[in-house]
Amino acid sequence: MDVEPGQPLLWLIRERLQLTGTKFGCGMGLCGACTVHLDGNPIRSCSTPIEIAQGRQITTIEGLESADGTLHPVQQAWLDLNVPQCGYCQSGQIMSAVALLAQSPNPNDAEIDAAMSGNICRCGTYPRIRKAIHRAAQVSAAVEYFEPRGEQNV
Amino acid sequence: MTVTRRHFLKIGAAAGGGLMVGFQLTGCSAPADYPHAQPGSFQPNAFLQLTAEGQFILQLHKAEMGQGVYTGMATLAAEELGVPPQDLQIEHAEFHPDFTDPVMKSMITGGSSSIRSSYLPLREAAASLALVLRQAAEKLGVGDTRQRPLPQLLANLKSVDRLPELISVATTLPVPEQVELKPESEFEYIGRFNTRLDARDKVRGRSQFSLDVPLEDAAVAVLVRCPHIGGHVTSIDDSAAKAMPGVVKILEVDGAVAVIAEGYWFARQAAAKLKLSWDKGPLAGVSSESLLEERHRLAQEEEGRTAEEEGEASLAVGDEFQVTYEAPYLAHATMEPLNALARVTEDRAEIWAGNQAPDMAIGLVAAATGLEFGQISLYNQMLGGGFGRRVFPDYIVEAARVSQLAGMPVRLVWSREDDVQHDGYRPNASAFMSATIADNKVTSMQSKVVTPSIYGNFMPLFTKAKLPNWVPDLVHRGIASLASGHDSSAVEGLIETGYTLPYTRCNVVLQDTTVPIGFWRSVGHSQNAFFKESFVDELAHQCGRDPLEFRLSLLQPGSRLEKVLSKVAELASWGGAGENRFQGVAVHESFHTAVAEVVTLHKTPQGLKLEQVHCVVDCGQTINPEIIEAQMESGIIFGLTAALKGKIDLVDGAVQQSNFHDYPMLRMSESPAISVHIMASDAEPTGVGEPGTPPVAPALANALYAATGERQRKLPLRLG
Repeated sequence: MDVEPGQPLLWLIRERLQLTGTKFGCGMGLCGACTVHLDGNPIRSCSTPIEIAQGRQITTIEGLESADGTLHPVQQAWLDLNVPQCGYCQSGQIMSAVALLAQSPNPNDAEIDAAMSGNICRCGTYPRIRKAIHRAAQVSAAVEYFEPRGEQNV
Repeated sequence: MTVTRRHFLKIGAAAGGGLMVGFQLTGCSAPADYPHAQPGSFQPNAFLQLTAEGQFILQLHKAEMGQGVYTGMATLAAEELGVPPQDLQIEHAEFHPDFTDPVMKSMITGGSSSIRSSYLPLREAAASLALVLRQAAEKLGVGDTRQRPLPQLLANLKSVDRLPELISVATTLPVPEQVELKPESEFEYIGRFNTRLDARDKVRGRSQFSLDVPLEDAAVAVLVRCPHIGGHVTSIDDSAAKAMPGVVKILEVDGAVAVIAEGYWFARQAAAKLKLSWDKGPLAGVSSESLLEERHRLAQEEEGRTAEEEGEASLAVGDEFQVTYEAPYLAHATMEPLNALARVTEDRAEIWAGNQAPDMAIGLVAAATGLEFGQISLYNQMLGGGFGRRVFPDYIVEAARVSQLAGMPVRLVWSREDDVQHDGYRPNASAFMSATIADNKVTSMQSKVVTPSIYGNFMPLFTKAKLPNWVPDLVHRGIASLASGHDSSAVEGLIETGYTLPYTRCNVVLQDTTVPIGFWRSVGHSQNAFFKESFVDELAHQCGRDPLEFRLSLLQPGSRLEKVLSKVAELASWGGAGENRFQGVAVHESFHTAVAEVVTLHKTPQGLKLEQVHCVVDCGQTINPEIIEAQMESGIIFGLTAALKGKIDLVDGAVQQSNFHDYPMLRMSESPAISVHIMASDAEPTGVGEPGTPPVAPALANALYAATGERQRKLPLRLG
């Protein structure tokens, strides 16, 4: 892709690739609405120059669900607990939560706070986000237990 | 059918136990000119239609900004149609006169009024549609139509391709003069439906906000405004900016400079290269400090208007106790920065924008562009937060003007800095509170609040939007002056407090300034509840009384305020919160909803920690329990952000804050556990978007006093 160097990844994602699930909130990496994964790690795409993404894997909110529309366990937990209000920050919240659970499959409240405090929610959905992360952790653990990865290949 | 006839409806008990509602309208159900009517559909009113394919479509006439109207409105309509709420197709309504709020005289989402004002009209619209469809089915000779569920009836007709026939018969039938609404005992969805219909798209990143509307042939514009509010550009050197990559056009637009480019980043980079000089405008030299000094001087010099006086002044005996409270300007900081996509041509404007007051936006676009109201279409979207900010259509008018002057479609995007520095702020205010106390009994409570008038600011916009273009400015100013003279928002929360005392009085002195102000979640209640409930707490301590017991003694036994207060005390274990725990309480009614909150602080070696907020709400009949709870949580966290962090400072007419580093928001690590209890009620439902906010700042201030012995009377509060 032909791009202007120095441009933040966010605008490439939103304007060129037209993946609008990733949001613009502050432009300074302060609010987390633009959070995506770069090789699995959460980054603020509004203040990440596109050069950094060269040759690396980017995952946006659109990439979380399966091709058949099955939601990621974190998205499902968000839905089950009625987390979203205006919903604008939730893509970023979910991307941060998915990255947290990948690193720490059963986080405690302090770990959740530490991982999620870069994401602002002006509607104040924090209490529900906390609960939803715990729920997603439980569900993922259960899935892990009953359907161990790789079993289908045996 | 219009909601304005609301005042004339006669409502009585029907034989079946439901409500009988009389309609004022005559005429038949023939298709009217509704902006969203699908070809071949049956649409007897502005709210609902049935398509030839059997799909019900609801026009969402209120803006979904997180508060839950998308689900709430669907629930009301679905109840009377007898279909599950998730089976309705929901569209953002374009402006139509039938969507006008009867009190606010505008199609507006605000004042926590959506559920309250739609509870009967929307159900009537749905019941009326359902009744006509049943009558049409009877004419077609399709069995016993009264008993069979409507969805089943429609499914049967669809299976034999007779829906178009049903619709053509329905179209010839008169709108029923009376419809019977379901009695509460038969509710399937109201009070029971407990999920959010907009949540699935929102967790998938698929919900469409106006910033997500496809650009097609539009370019992206940013607008560089004078940093001094109300100022304008006097010279432009755009030579360096024009040489930047991706730039399409640079032009002056109404005192500001628009940079249009191939994308947001390009526009922003080029804008940074502009060399501009400014006329600072009418607020040059004005600062937060000078405004504060002015309020204190006004309080000395002017008596102001008496907004409320109860009891005999002669009863105000004993020692006088006087203190002063302060509240700063506050920005809304919606998560989605303001933006609008506009395509303006010589005789037409199309605009895509998330907005709380479409007819005001259209009227002001008409006034700014010279187009007629009817030539302008505004397509609403999901709002990435509203909180009152998107009542003001400045960003929409700007987008229309940039498009018009540039001669091309543009998406105007505000930066976070634009948002923080060019808001319509919650007004700053000083409250001079006084009381007389004799023998440890309060004999009077008086307040004098000095603040600018929101309605004085709002009215010229409203009348410009509503009145023809030839009406001179003098008239707009005259109406504004009248409006500010009776501005209820300046004193709401300081009057009608529910406390009975021998003498109470509230005076208001208006501060005249051109600093733009607006409706900020819970409006006057947000600061006035802080003044009132902090001061009542002070009076309790002055009298040596427990703050809870003191309040209960002043409230009418059996009143909603007394009940929510008693309940929250019980749930929060008032007086027994545990070691190193300190509590504060507040109770407040706003927008017809009563809320009591207890804040619990935990004293730790690292300092005071905001541990828990207990909340009890009485909002009448429950529509969706989860959304009520969520709105209380939301209002509390919004209020805590303001109470602990919120402050907009002016220097030389320019806002000093700019982004989330210096206008911070409460974050997850700082937010308390929140528990919400909804009082059972069969009264008509009232709103929940705002009433959770006002009590939390005073409850926190009162808890801080309990923990530290220091009374903080100036917002924001210090936790440490």
